Amino acid sequence: MRTWFRIFFIGGVISFRALFSWIRPSVYIPTLLLGPTTQILFFAYLGRTAHLKSDSWFVVGNAVQSASLAALFGMGFAIDGERWTQTLSAVLATPANRAALFLGRALPVLVNAAVVASTGFVGGALLLGFRMPWSSVPTLALLVLLASFACTGLGMLVGAVGLRMRDVPIIANLTMAVLLIFCGVNVPLDKLPHWMHMTAEGLPVTHAIDAARRVAAGASLGSVETPALTELGLGAVYLLVGFMLLRLFELQGRRHGTLDRA
Amino acid sequence: MKAARIFWTGFVLHFKNLSASPFMMTTAAIWPLVYATLAFLMFRATHQAPSLLYAALGAAVMGIWSTTATSAGGAIQQQRWWGILEILVAAPTRLILVLAPITVAIAAIGVYSIGSTLLWGRLLFGVPLHVSHPLLFAVSIPAAVLSIGLLGLLLASTFVLYRSASHLSQALEYPIWTITGMLIPLSLLPGWVGPIAWALAPTWGMRAVRRAAIGGDVGTPLLVCAALSVAYTILAALLLHHFERLARDRATLSLT
Amino acid sequence: MIEAIELCRTYRTSTGVLRRKPLEVEAVRGISFAVEQGELFGLLGPNGAGKTTTIKMLITLLLPTSGQARVLGRDVVEDARDVRKRIGYVFGGDRGLYERLSALDNLRYFAELYGVSGKAQRRRIDEVLELVGLKGRESERVEGYSRGMRQRLHIARGILHDPEVVFLDEPTIGVDPVGARELRGTIGDLISAGKTVLLTTHYMFEADALCDRIAVIAKGRIVGEGTPAELKAGVADGRVTEIEVFGVDDATVERLRALEGVTAVAVEEHDQRQLLVVQTAAERELTAPLLAQLDGIAVGRVGSREPTLEDAYVALVGGE
Repeated sequence: MRTWFRIFFIGGVISFRALFSWIRPSVYIPTLLLGPTTQILFFAYLGRTAHLKSDSWFVVGNAVQSASLAALFGMGFAIDGERWTQTLSAVLATPANRAALFLGRALPVLVNAAVVASTGFVGGALLLGFRMPWSSVPTLALLVLLASFACTGLGMLVGAVGLRMRDVPIIANLTMAVLLIFCGVNVPLDKLPHWMHMTAEGLPVTHAIDAARRVAAGASLGSVETPALTELGLGAVYLLVGFMLLRLFELQGRRHGTLDRA
Repeated sequence: MKAARIFWTGFVLHFKNLSASPFMMTTAAIWPLVYATLAFLMFRATHQAPSLLYAALGAAVMGIWSTTATSAGGAIQQQRWWGILEILVAAPTRLILVLAPITVAIAAIGVYSIGSTLLWGRLLFGVPLHVSHPLLFAVSIPAAVLSIGLLGLLLASTFVLYRSASHLSQALEYPIWTITGMLIPLSLLPGWVGPIAWALAPTWGMRAVRRAAIGGDVGTPLLVCAALSVAYTILAALLLHHFERLARDRATLSLT
Repeated sequence: MIEAIELCRTYRTSTGVLRRKPLEVEAVRGISFAVEQGELFGLLGPNGAGKTTTIKMLITLLLPTSGQARVLGRDVVEDARDVRKRIGYVFGGDRGLYERLSALDNLRYFAELYGVSGKAQRRRIDEVLELVGLKGRESERVEGYSRGMRQRLHIARGILHDPEVVFLDEPTIGVDPVGARELRGTIGDLISAGKTVLLTTHYMFEADALCDRIAVIAKGRIVGEGTPAELKAGVADGRVTEIEVFGVDDATVERLRALEGVTAVAVEEHDQRQLLVVQTAAERELTAPLLAQLDGIAVGRVGSREPTLEDAYVALVGGE
């Protein structure tokens, strides 16, 4: 059991450091810390242009959504990046519990995603005067974590599919686009075409954003229990499916010898 | 003029090279559609928003900027990866004449963005594609493209020296979209943004494109756009001269 | 033609991820040499010796930390543009070309950048394609070229503007033997055409075969200079004893080196066995002491021969 945890944590952190040249402040800060705030500002003002909703509405939506950027690309890179560095077969060949290994990769990505989302809130507070009751902050933090978890799960799924289709960036970009449009981030769900709304119900971030907006307005944890649990459930499903796909592709890859990029 | 010839040869080569890249083409054609869709949906949600044609044009030019911004730095990095940056610097031609065609070619790829965005708007959202001054529209588009390409050149000049500066240019994407009034009217932004916006050629390029389509004085923004583009070129030439020397000192021209 | 005077180059990098420590690497520590017109001059040395750094300083891509260099009488730092107009630079490897475009497109572009006048371009491109043997394949995309063909295209690009001096950095690296031989032929043709060539390589036989004069570089310094014959003469007096061994360790090799009369010891790995190449000073019969040091280790054939340029190289490089 101890080994499992060791692999989980150490494997994850080491791979995080190895694959993310983002650790360098000159890269990390612009891309992941300033990025969400600039996105929030853009959409908040766009909202004003359209006379749509309020600044706070956009702050919450975009801050939570920015977790998805970090998670999708983090997971995608963690999985695909291994392939590029030709370490994938070496890694999978170790007796280490594969679940520990891949979940270990997911943990730093999740934490990073949550941090990124939080900077959005801070930016929104500093630049747009976003305010919420202090008592709601823990609940909001929980919702951000849940959204990050769900996005990480989606990231694993996207990474697995991308691995198979040999093109992670394009798939990740498309997924980002879908999340941005469908999940009620910048367009109220009731103003979306019905099919988009329905799709969004099964996507990460949708429920978390809805809950977060209510919490920012003062709602209690209890009143957002349903969307919170839905978000958690969705994340678990995506994680599981993603992991199973990875195993499936790994087995196929071994059979066809396509595991590493030639 | 020899410089014009060198510029044109470079432009054609890089435009060809970029068009042969499926990743480049999909990025240029698809991302603008994402933001156009968002703008259409947001503007449609209320009855007080600007017109959908306004949204379509803004999203299209946003697409040109984003292709240029992400790719300009990437292009320099790519030349580095391909081992060509050194060859370019070692050429007796001034570096600005070597790099300007790259960024302008990238911006020119953005014309695909305009086409796809307007088509998308027409087909899926019924955006009326009526243009008030077709001739001026046809002129203002290359003007906007050129100005964006040259602003991209200014940014890219820093990438000759700093290998990771391209990430900063990505972070500038939303701010540039916001400040240059592509979708958000300047009047909504804090007062101090105004002067910054006026110093950015794309602001005027966008204004020219929009007015040519929807109506208004096109001449002034076109002239200011042209003047600023010239200023960028001179500034970029100076920066490149300085940065190139620094890059030779710090050995950042190649990967090793 | 080419003059290097006490060239030095230090790289400043950093190590570590979170706490970056600055690191100074002295790649070139005071290199001086001169190349005459029409000469084929070789910079020979192992990987990491500073050859590429030296050549990059000469072609104006790197600023020296100290020292001076002149090409065709012009300073490489102050008159960079002048220098660039008159030199050609070719490096080995797969990179350096626009893959998705044809060779012709590549050449047209670089012809423009390197100042080949419009009217002369077509003729000149034809000429260089003929010279490097790529005529007929210029419309194909570069991505389909073999390594040898790419190298030839590199050379074509490097001489498009008819430079007086051509710098070649490891031109035959990674090229198959037949292709490499053809490339060497092309390089020889450059000299016949009246150009001056500076070549870097780590293949001794290549330097021996091609170069009029060679400078041997190791760890950023020149450790030997002269014609191939002169360098060989440096070790000609001695003898070389080759001992086949099975499983010799570093400590033993060191003890061998320390023996009186031994100038150099090189170890060549061949699957299960190793070949000890021991250079000894003239007139010394050292076979017995050598074998005594190898007591306890399985020894195979023992032979002796005349020294070659390779041995001179090993002696020079090993001495640093």
